[in-house]
Amino acid sequence: MSSTSIDVPSTDDVVGLLRAQHGQIRDLFDLVMGSSGPERRESFTHLVRLLAVHETAEEEIVHPVARRKLPGGQGMIDDRLAEEREAKELLAELDGMDPEDPQFLPKLDKLRVAVLSHARAEERYEFDRLGDQFSDAQRKGLAAAVRAAEAAAPTHPHPGTESATKNMLVGPAAAIADRVRDIIRNPDKH
Amino acid sequence: MAFNPLEHRGIPLDDQLRDWSELDVAPIDPDKADPYTRCRIITMNGIEVEAVMFSHHFNRICPDLEVKQQLARVRYIEQQQQKVVNWLLPGQASVLETTIAYEQVAVDLTGWVARMEPDPYLKQAYEFGVLEDFDHLYRYANLYEMIEHRKAEKIVDQLTEITPGRPTYLHHRDPVDNVREPYDRRTAEPISKLHALTIMSAEQQTMNFYMNVGPLYMEPIARQLYQEIGLVEEEHVTHYESLVDPGETWWERLVNHEYNECYLYYSFMQTESDPRVKGIWELHLNMELEHLRLACDLMRRHDGRDPESVLAPALPEPVTFEPNKELVRHLLATQLDLTTLGTGYVREAHERFEKMQNKINAQRDAGERVIDEHREMFGQEYRLETDGPNPVERLREKTA
Ligand SMILES: [Fe+2]
Ligand SMILES: [Fe+2]
Ligand SMILES: [Fe+2]
Ligand SMILES: [Fe+2]
Repeated sequence: MSSTSIDVPSTDDVVGLLRAQHGQIRDLFDLVMGSSGPERRESFTHLVRLLAVHETAEEEIVHPVARRKLPGGQGMIDDRLAEEREAKELLAELDGMDPEDPQFLPKLDKLRVAVLSHARAEERYEFDRLGDQFSDAQRKGLAAAVRAAEAAAPTHPHPGTESATKNMLVGPAAAIADRVRDIIRNPDKH
Repeated sequence: MAFNPLEHRGIPLDDQLRDWSELDVAPIDPDKADPYTRCRIITMNGIEVEAVMFSHHFNRICPDLEVKQQLARVRYIEQQQQKVVNWLLPGQASVLETTIAYEQVAVDLTGWVARMEPDPYLKQAYEFGVLEDFDHLYRYANLYEMIEHRKAEKIVDQLTEITPGRPTYLHHRDPVDNVREPYDRRTAEPISKLHALTIMSAEQQTMNFYMNVGPLYMEPIARQLYQEIGLVEEEHVTHYESLVDPGETWWERLVNHEYNECYLYYSFMQTESDPRVKGIWELHLNMELEHLRLACDLMRRHDGRDPESVLAPALPEPVTFEPNKELVRHLLATQLDLTTLGTGYVREAHERFEKMQNKINAQRDAGERVIDEHREMFGQEYRLETDGPNPVERLREKTA
């Protein structure tokens, strides 16, 4: 037995929080693939939900900041959004499937590798560099914003909503985007 | 059935060159691969890196143009082998995940060698070293959960335990005390020579890896931990390389290197669980058989000696990656307090050791601080104790 608990600790750092979610997502894939019957269904539902909130949070909050602040951010975020779109399509297909369908596991495996590659690309090209851009207060504020976005995100994926402007139409997400903008523009107030 | 590499013909050297598409191997799965497949890949990468660097050093001291040209041809193939082997590692794996796999290699490869080594002085060298890499695994595993929020058991599976060994801060000895006595090339068992070459190569690759990847981290604790453990790997390379008899001629050393490559590819071909990777081990074995034949010809021509006189008549039992939990627990209980003095081992902290310790550990080292910081963040340490608590009372986790 390992001696630490399964829960990811709360972190005040936006990069740490998103990294922690990447780890959780990876472990959930293990759980889905290693179980069957109602247990598989349940862990898959958990995975779908976490993926949806995580990706939405990134699209709403982190990617736009990276796009504006990082050198080369424009092209880099376009690449990440294309990957996210592909993953969402796979996820939407899986979401309508019976987990006992013989096509389910091979499809899930394709999604697993796509999501892991995408997450690593974010960590290496985006998160690692975000770390240099913001003060502790900004990182903390962004983490709070990600948590708020988590609470407001849909529980099922919707392909085609990965551009921030479209999601702005949703009330709480727009409010969060405003809050993030505010934090970045007025760091002293926080 | 015993396999004698001297009796088998490999692939002619002219047919060994691979084109870009053949070099472009598909990596293993970052999460689903057998952890011991990854260990075999890391081991063979270290072996190929040593093959390449040994050949470069030989080239630098060799005045004979024809020999230099043959070395260059074989070395280019060794480089292609290194590319194929190391490129089996997946790009999705993080540096720290690969680091944890390197320490798993150090524990379970050295553990195997310690159990199989017939010479008591050499056996002691492996038993001494394994307790240190075992401790590194524990420090890196705590760092991993801190910065990647994932548990190292996802990497090592339940095959290797993760709990403190000889604490890393005690690994920093006066460099003089890292030099061991060599085996005697005339009386040593052939298997002893292969063991020394194998562990030296693996530790050298680990040292090179930490030297290069440590500064890629931004987190101060990660940068500091790689620096500290990187310096211990310098000690380990000194420790293991000095086991090799310096009286071996360059020709003899070349033959030993190629023979060892045959031995390890043959071993891993026997024990590999991934059929695709097994195919690579088999192909490389067939290349090494030819490298060995060429090296043997050079030895006959330039040394005037028969390679058979220094080699085993057949390959020893295949090197096998398997759990060494019982061995490590036994060593924890009996050899934790050892340090080195001159070329031997002692239990008490002697003057030279203390002097080095006082100087380098003037401030609390990163190995201790990574555990402090993990406890602060998670309320406890990360450990993976599958077979009960740490056998040493004082290494058990203090509950707050
Ligand atoms: Fe992500
Ligand atoms: Fe080789
Ligand atoms: Fe080592
Ligand atoms: Fe070779």
